[in-house]
Amino acid sequence: MTILTEAVARLLLAPSLMVAAAILIKGYVDVGDGFAAAVVVSLAIALQYLAFGARRAEQELPVLRFAPQTAIVGLLVALSSGFFAVISGGAPFTHEPSVGARVVRIGRLELMTAVSFDFGIFLLIAGALVALIHHLAEPPELEPDLEEDAEAAR
Amino acid sequence: MTALVLALVLPWAVGALLLLADGRRRRWGWTAVAAVAANLAALVVLAVKVLPDGHETVVTGGWEGGIGIVVRADALGVTFALLSSFVVLAALVHEVLDGVRSRTFPALVVLLCTGLTGLFLTGDVFNFYVFFELAMISAYVLTAYGDDRHQLGAALIFAVVNLVGSFLFLIAVAAMYHVTGTLSMEQVAERMAGVEPNAAILIAVTFFVAFGTKLGLFPFHFWLPAVYAGTRPAVAAILSGALANIGAYGLLRFGAGLLPEELELGSTVLIVIGSASVIYGALLAVSRRDPAEMLAYSSIGQAGYVLVALGLGGPVGLAAAVLYAILNALSKALLFLSGALRGALVAGAFAVGALSLAGMPPAAGFLGKLALFHTGVEEGSVALIVLLFCGGALAFVYAFQLYQHEFWRGSRVKAGTGLEEAAAASAKELAAGRELPIAGGAAGSDVAAEPAASPVAVRAVSVVLALIVLALGLWPEPLLSLSSDAAAVLHGGAR
Repeated sequence: MTILTEAVARLLLAPSLMVAAAILIKGYVDVGDGFAAAVVVSLAIALQYLAFGARRAEQELPVLRFAPQTAIVGLLVALSSGFFAVISGGAPFTHEPSVGARVVRIGRLELMTAVSFDFGIFLLIAGALVALIHHLAEPPELEPDLEEDAEAAR
Repeated sequence: MTALVLALVLPWAVGALLLLADGRRRRWGWTAVAAVAANLAALVVLAVKVLPDGHETVVTGGWEGGIGIVVRADALGVTFALLSSFVVLAALVHEVLDGVRSRTFPALVVLLCTGLTGLFLTGDVFNFYVFFELAMISAYVLTAYGDDRHQLGAALIFAVVNLVGSFLFLIAVAAMYHVTGTLSMEQVAERMAGVEPNAAILIAVTFFVAFGTKLGLFPFHFWLPAVYAGTRPAVAAILSGALANIGAYGLLRFGAGLLPEELELGSTVLIVIGSASVIYGALLAVSRRDPAEMLAYSSIGQAGYVLVALGLGGPVGLAAAVLYAILNALSKALLFLSGALRGALVAGAFAVGALSLAGMPPAAGFLGKLALFHTGVEEGSVALIVLLFCGGALAFVYAFQLYQHEFWRGSRVKAGTGLEEAAAASAKELAAGRELPIAGGAAGSDVAAEPAASPVAVRAVSVVLALIVLALGLWPEPLLSLSSDAAAVLHGGAR
């Protein structure tokens, strides 16, 4: 890749993460959600892989190696914020705090289960997509005997 | 409600966690078994509450139905969920005892079980699709389990064909939403009567093709033999004993439950396609020598019976369809699991499965055939009775041909009389060994019908399954009442 792509990839990463965070947070009063935010993040990461190659990209951002774990943690966060209400006898996916109750805010971020659910979705999608990109960028080595086997089949 | 939610969320969370673990370790395999067993236990608790004619509904978020997603357990759904969970458990225990070969296998099986439980216990058309995809995606990966060239080929065919099926299903769901304005099954059933007939027929046909592809009915069967023959026995048992239930359940729920008028209109077509499936599957099964391939063709034939019963309709026909689907799933799981094993008692277990497949008492398959005969007599249809008789006779021929081929001739090879077969087998083994230096040992031993006995614990799973099939045949009352309760949901709810 040219030096230009590398520079652009480096420059774009931080703003993309900010845009994703904005999409994630404003999803509760405006258009946007965890899924869209995760897709934006993984597009930015795909650009890193494209510009630097899998090995260098993962050297510079070691967190990328934990993509599968991130996805699973995300799924568990989403499941637990969906189903925790069952413990106290409510229906699954009940809002906490409930409708009309006071919501704790940090800036525009509202602390409620819908947000934590969406944050789980964000982690799940981002993790899964990055894991996918990793496999596309650096496919697992073909076993030598499998290659021979494929040749024999031809 | 707790049982319903637990049945769903427990395998889901455990399956996700297991993805992180190395499934080849014994303890993770047993964790997966525990999760599926817990799912089965929760379903039993649910079944006790719901049967004979109740239902349990949970709407997400405590909203009203129509806004929140409806999760609904009724007799039909619980029956199929129990059946699938049970088959998955048997196959999983079999594979864990036999030694899991890939790190993701237990996690995928548990997630597949989650998907199946979810789709049988949902009252929402789109939610059905979501869980359906969860089960299918796990199944795509599972088909490749073993990582041999055969398995990869099978997985590719399976994924491509079933993605087309899923896509058709999604289109049909969208069309249904378009014409009725709702996704809740209860409301769809009410509003479908007022829908323009052309649109309704088109939707019904699309659903039929989608589920026909899953179930492997005659014109959509082409993928099935290659896949069942290519996968490992435990996976084939899951595919034919648990995943194929989606097709049968879908036809029952969407056909008889949501689109009863269209089902009645198309009943002749269903009976013709079903009969074609029965005859085609049985004839091709008779001509096959490879056990997995023979069982695959037999699955095509057995799916035909379900369709014929559905086409005949009425309380008797629907109950027969449910009963037949249950028994077929159990005997197929038994045959796939025991067919690959060797050693004392396995031949007996396989023979029970073969008897069940052919519909001979005392094995449970007899009940299914009996219910179908009953339906035929009720309808006064000579053609159906002839069809059932021919199909049953052919099933008897291929099932025991397979039995003889697998369990009698193998011992003769060992004794040194079947020289030609032995030579052919060793030639095959040589060929396999040359192609795959590492995996050759395992693949070759499969081809040559290695006479070494399988581990006792693995055999015990098949034997227990066989005993259950026998017990259900000897004491049929619970199964009969279960299937008629399940069928009552359909004509009670829709007409």
